[in-house]
Amino acid sequence: MNSILYLLRKTVKNEIIDTIRHPLKFLLYAFVAVSMLYGAVKGYTAGDDLGNSEVFSDPRLLSGAYLAVLFFISIPIMLKGLSSGTSFFSLSDVNNLFVAPISPKRILIYGVGRQLASMLVLVVTFAAYGGMIIKMFRVTASQALVLILGIALMLIMVQLVTLLIFCLASTHPIRAKIMKYIIYAMAFFALGTVIIYSFVCGISVENIFAAISLPILEYIPFIGWMHGLVFGIMQYDVPRIIIFGILTFLAGISGIIVLKITKLDFYEDVLSQAESYQEFREAVREGKFSDKVMMGNKEIKLRKRGIKKGSGASSIFYKHILEGSRRSRFMFFNINTFVLLFVAFVIGFGIKQAKSDIEPTIIYLAAMIILVYVQFFFSASGDWVKELTKPYIYLIPDGAVKKLVMAAATGIIKPFTDGIITFGLLAFVAGGHPVDIIVAALTYGSFGTLYIAANVLAQRLVGIDSTGGIFITFYMSMIVLTLLPGVVIGLVVLSNLSGSYGYIATTLLGGPLFIWNMIVSAGIFIACRNLLNNTE
Amino acid sequence: MLNVSHLTKKYHRFVANDNLSFLVNDGETAVIAGPNGAGKSTAIKCIAGLLRFDGEIEICGHNNKSIEAKKILGYVPEIPAPFELLTVWEHMEFISRAYKLENWEERAKELMTRFELTDKRDKLGKELSKGMQQKISICCAMLIDPKVVLFDEPLVGLDPHAIKELKAMLNEMKAKGTTIIISTHMLESVEDIWDRVFIMMNGKIEAERTRKFVEESGENLEELFFNITEKNKSGADEK
Repeated sequence: MNSILYLLRKTVKNEIIDTIRHPLKFLLYAFVAVSMLYGAVKGYTAGDDLGNSEVFSDPRLLSGAYLAVLFFISIPIMLKGLSSGTSFFSLSDVNNLFVAPISPKRILIYGVGRQLASMLVLVVTFAAYGGMIIKMFRVTASQALVLILGIALMLIMVQLVTLLIFCLASTHPIRAKIMKYIIYAMAFFALGTVIIYSFVCGISVENIFAAISLPILEYIPFIGWMHGLVFGIMQYDVPRIIIFGILTFLAGISGIIVLKITKLDFYEDVLSQAESYQEFREAVREGKFSDKVMMGNKEIKLRKRGIKKGSGASSIFYKHILEGSRRSRFMFFNINTFVLLFVAFVIGFGIKQAKSDIEPTIIYLAAMIILVYVQFFFSASGDWVKELTKPYIYLIPDGAVKKLVMAAATGIIKPFTDGIITFGLLAFVAGGHPVDIIVAALTYGSFGTLYIAANVLAQRLVGIDSTGGIFITFYMSMIVLTLLPGVVIGLVVLSNLSGSYGYIATTLLGGPLFIWNMIVSAGIFIACRNLLNNTE
Repeated sequence: MLNVSHLTKKYHRFVANDNLSFLVNDGETAVIAGPNGAGKSTAIKCIAGLLRFDGEIEICGHNNKSIEAKKILGYVPEIPAPFELLTVWEHMEFISRAYKLENWEERAKELMTRFELTDKRDKLGKELSKGMQQKISICCAMLIDPKVVLFDEPLVGLDPHAIKELKAMLNEMKAKGTTIIISTHMLESVEDIWDRVFIMMNGKIEAERTRKFVEESGENLEELFFNITEKNKSGADEK
């Protein structure tokens, strides 16, 4: 154990020294930490003043949203665990620790312990959102903390379950299949229960709220138990705390026992995952998101063969279409679309429930602003970024602007389709003016183009090979700079015309923003065409 | 023909290529040799139009960053970078579309046969070994029938059959008048194909020889290589 403690001690010490030695990295960390702390303190200390807006005050909405979050973070990790194990260990652990004369049990404890430490970082990150949770859902600071700790604990449980699943199923295809079906069944049970209940009792905000907070959902293994435990603590419901606390505890303990009895030789199981995780980390560090890194060893069926269309620069676009169809069956309709739909519906139902006679345009405005923020996180690994890491785009004999636009085309189209789907479906909940719905979708879509343009601008200014931290700082600055004039124009239009056209406030703000975003993006594309003149 | 004039490439204060000037004629195979870190790959990447540089580079009379130059330039990178989600055949199709090639299918089939990729036709880029990926890179570069072709350490990772095939192909291209530039640190691997050699050290061309000159003078190229590279190293050590 001494060697492991030494390793931990040195790793922490060297990380701190390295951060201090790199002033920019240090400043960036300090900036992020201070802003998170500020956000958290402001949120936690705001008290009732900030909670006055009773937008999401119904506890059932928080309950449903929390369960959905637990599902979103757990199911993909567990499914991935079936094929590739867990990320408890890095490749350096595999190469150095696994071959050392140290007990595998101790190494497993080290892996779980280190994971706990990294979860702590995640908890701190979530804590910054605690203020927002307090504001939106009218919970106390301690309740917000319980929610955040619940997510952290869930992540640890999922890692443990994943390791267990992998050890039990890695060499038994039938077991793997059964476990896969069990995981799917958990998800479909939750989804099916909510849908069936809503349809049987009639679709209304009240019935949907009742469906997403049904007690039966808390009996779904691991995820439901964690939900029951967290909400039991929040509501001082002792029987729930005891039942779900014991179930969660037993699940954790029995996982460790089964792991110990069945298979202590987990080295081989984590090796391939450690290798791909290492590849992933390096790619993220270098800002290179290749498909091999992102998709791992996922088997791809070649349904459609051949690019079929395109000539010169446009062949890049049609290649992206083919690649996209191989990543997922519906290229422009993927998990991101579901996340957006989920967020939009939470906002839509939340506002409607709080104030049923509210102008629909307010719902679109709120949804548009929040979804544009969410979209930022989806825009990091677009096709065009991957294209820049290969030599072909620089070598193709065609115009630079054309190549740049064609390489970015799928990334431009996707947010527009997401916007049309999301706001189109939100219209069923919110109603409202058709122009408002169209403008909300277009404005949302135009942000995809703006994010790409800001990325292009940042790459042009700091170089493609720049380190992650510096690049992200520049990228975010470019977004703010390019976006600001559009926001100002939109706000001016909104404040001047809201008296007469208040019922389409989204159009008043979003319309100018959409036009501005597209114009400034086109300008950036033209101005930065030299990006493809060299790989630097 | 490739004409490089006063090529200088700096990374901040570090000079990777220091005022390089050289000419490689049509139908000539030039080797840029030198130890690791001599600046060979940087020079190749500058010629391919992938890096910013000072100086001038012309491909058959066209500026190397112009569309005209790109149309006739083939480049095989040191590290192969296939598209993970395209099959081997789709790589050929993509190149044919990007370069607007016509009647390319037969040539693609021939290249794939020569490099034993025919049975891998429907394999995705991410499913291939490093050697196979290198073969795709070579086939993509060859498919456009380039007038000037750049190889950055082309033999690394290739199996003996592919090395034999590549050398045969280089000779065929040379006979057709293609200008070939190969960067390598292993002179013996290209001893039977070169016409002109540039020995680089610390970003500079320290020596240029033609095969004719070496054959007539009886100079030992390997000795010359080590004299230059070892002398520079010991000089640096003494400092």
